[in-house]
Amino acid sequence: MRRSLVLAGAAVTVLGLLAGCSAGGDGSNSGKTTLRVAALEGGYGRDMYAQVIQAYEASRPDVDVQLQISKSIEDEITPNMKAGRYPDVVVLGQGRKAALTETLIKDKALEDLTPVLKAKVPGEDKTVGDKLIEGIVGNLNTNPYRTDQTYLMPMYYAPTGLFYNKGLFAQKGWQTPTTWDEMFALGDTAKAQGISLFTYPTAGYLDSFFFALLADVGGEQFYTDVMTYKQGVWQTPQARQVLDITTRLLRYAAPTTVGYANEQDFTKNQQSILDNKALFMPNGTWIVGEMANAPRANGFQWGLTPLPAVTAGGKRYITTSVESVWIPTAAKHKDAAKDFIAYLYSDEAAKIFAKSNAIQPLKGIASGLSGENAEFYKVYEDPSVAALVGGFASTAPVEGVDIKATLFDTANSIISGDKTEDQWQAALNDASEKLRQAGD
Amino acid sequence: MTTISAPPPGSTDRTSEPAPSAGRSRRGARVPARRRGDVGFVLACLLPALVLFAVFMVVPTVNVFRMSLYTWSGFSPDLRFVGLDNFTRLFDDEQFVRAFQNTVALLVVVTVVTMGMGLFLAAIMTRQRLRGRNLYRFVLYIPNVLSVVVIAAIFSAVFDQENGLLNGVLRLLSLDGLQQVWLGDQKLVLWSVAIAMVWQSLGYYMVLYMSSMASIPEELYEASALDGASAGRQFFTITLPLIWQNLRTTLTFFVMSAVNLSFVLVRAMTGGGPDGSSEVLLSYLYKQAYTNSSYGYGMAIGVVIFAFSFLVSLLVSRATRREPVQF
Repeated sequence: MRRSLVLAGAAVTVLGLLAGCSAGGDGSNSGKTTLRVAALEGGYGRDMYAQVIQAYEASRPDVDVQLQISKSIEDEITPNMKAGRYPDVVVLGQGRKAALTETLIKDKALEDLTPVLKAKVPGEDKTVGDKLIEGIVGNLNTNPYRTDQTYLMPMYYAPTGLFYNKGLFAQKGWQTPTTWDEMFALGDTAKAQGISLFTYPTAGYLDSFFFALLADVGGEQFYTDVMTYKQGVWQTPQARQVLDITTRLLRYAAPTTVGYANEQDFTKNQQSILDNKALFMPNGTWIVGEMANAPRANGFQWGLTPLPAVTAGGKRYITTSVESVWIPTAAKHKDAAKDFIAYLYSDEAAKIFAKSNAIQPLKGIASGLSGENAEFYKVYEDPSVAALVGGFASTAPVEGVDIKATLFDTANSIISGDKTEDQWQAALNDASEKLRQAGD
Repeated sequence: MTTISAPPPGSTDRTSEPAPSAGRSRRGARVPARRRGDVGFVLACLLPALVLFAVFMVVPTVNVFRMSLYTWSGFSPDLRFVGLDNFTRLFDDEQFVRAFQNTVALLVVVTVVTMGMGLFLAAIMTRQRLRGRNLYRFVLYIPNVLSVVVIAAIFSAVFDQENGLLNGVLRLLSLDGLQQVWLGDQKLVLWSVAIAMVWQSLGYYMVLYMSSMASIPEELYEASALDGASAGRQFFTITLPLIWQNLRTTLTFFVMSAVNLSFVLVRAMTGGGPDGSSEVLLSYLYKQAYTNSSYGYGMAIGVVIFAFSFLVSLLVSRATRREPVQF
């Protein structure tokens, strides 16, 4: 008797443990569609999502939206996705360390959202496509396979570029440089006063710098060629010029840059702008919130400028970071998900998002901004400045090849003298060629 | 004169009790039935642990080996069998070779330094009646209970190139020329990580050795002192041989844990940078499997790590094999 009790007890324990591992079934409730939304909790906070969902549920009583939001949302949804439980809507852009969006793009595991562009915004007469600003869809960021199909809808957009202390420039009587010659001249002037021209938080932040510089030097076609791994593109004179300018700029980098360019210390590089130890760094508009509590020099005021032009009066591009929203092909309620995404572009939702400084790429929205944000979004008003969206094209994964790391991280070795510009160019050519072959 | 000799074979455990043969014969015929019951009970108790072991250890390990033969992004339903392609690719991958070199360098240096210093400190603490040795032991042990993230933050403050403890002390001693960018210099960054690893594990191994040294009978030292043996001589001829078995076990454990520790510290402190110069095998595995969508390739690196750790442990075990010495 006792033995069988023990055996039964052991069996229950084992079953319990196994059941515990696979818990979390689909909590469908009576007749309602349960829409699972996963979102990255970025600098904008989580309240805006709760409010938007509340407003959406009020207009769609048959839908129950369950929000999962986290600063490391990839870590939370990935295990479930591997087990076949996918969220219906995911608000998560590219360029994150975990590269979940990129992985699903490479896998062709995203739902075609072109119909959403043509769909009417719930409760309004206009279609989603009508409301979006020009050029924000149709690029590699939204149409990753270089086709007319849109797989990632642009959610929020923000200019990235060189951030600096406006107060210091006013105090010294300096102008923000408009050409690279002016930039390097300013570098010499600042150096004489013990200030470095340039720094970066980590080498990964050079993405906005390089994308804009590639387009500045060779135009949009050349930029697209680089992003789509055109054969021999890194051996062209334009590519060399990009590396020449960067190598020269890196000679002006703050001496502390490389030592602090890691996960633990990158804010110390950002702090050097606040302390007037360095003039410019590539960054995004989130920097204001990120360094809000950091000490700063008297009269400090954040400013944002595009990269200097290659020739006087030349076109200058400003890399625009775009957060995305997408639907996994394995999602359960795709139609409801598409309706929800269309709603995210409604005036009602846009108003809620804008309150948290999450600016959507909708026509006319930038004119209603105030404070530092108004200042940052003003860069688009300059007629010589154009927005640049995108990133490297998706290919089948190539083992051991990461062109972003080759392009950005090598900057650390250029500053420290561990690699030469020629080695950099050769490595880029090699990586680009391998990715081109994988893409064909 | 005291001599230390090897015990006769078969009697390595002097604490083992004599077999209770008398008791068993008294119970007579009831024994087999009772034994069957015991076996059932033992099996029932083992079952949950065995199931957990199989589900969480055996299956994933087998999976690592299986997945290393495929190309897979980590999500897609299509797995492509590529045989040993992932392994042949590894040898052309400069980043992998560098990560391997870094791992080996860290293993050798950190193991030798930690074990050496651990033994030395343990010997001093047990043999030399230091004043405040409990405090020293406590202070040295503390790093072991800290989380790696805290250790990374502490060493970020120690290695800070401007206001760091290390450069600050050098400035204080007017040795400004020796100041370094500890985490930014590609030739130094790995050794900076090594220092943090030694600091983290030193106290733990010191305490382990102290406990085994404390069990060595005092008479042995007294007798050797009468024979005129110095402290150094005592260490090498009495202490070391008598804790040898303990040293062997800890060495194997340490080699394995150092592979893991190097990963978490590198992730938290340098992210493998600058420009991949502090990348170790596990951090490279992580990057390939989870951020470069090359899960199969990552698992191939996992297999290499498995084989490497296994081989190193085997070599260490073979190289340190001695006839057990008892007191």
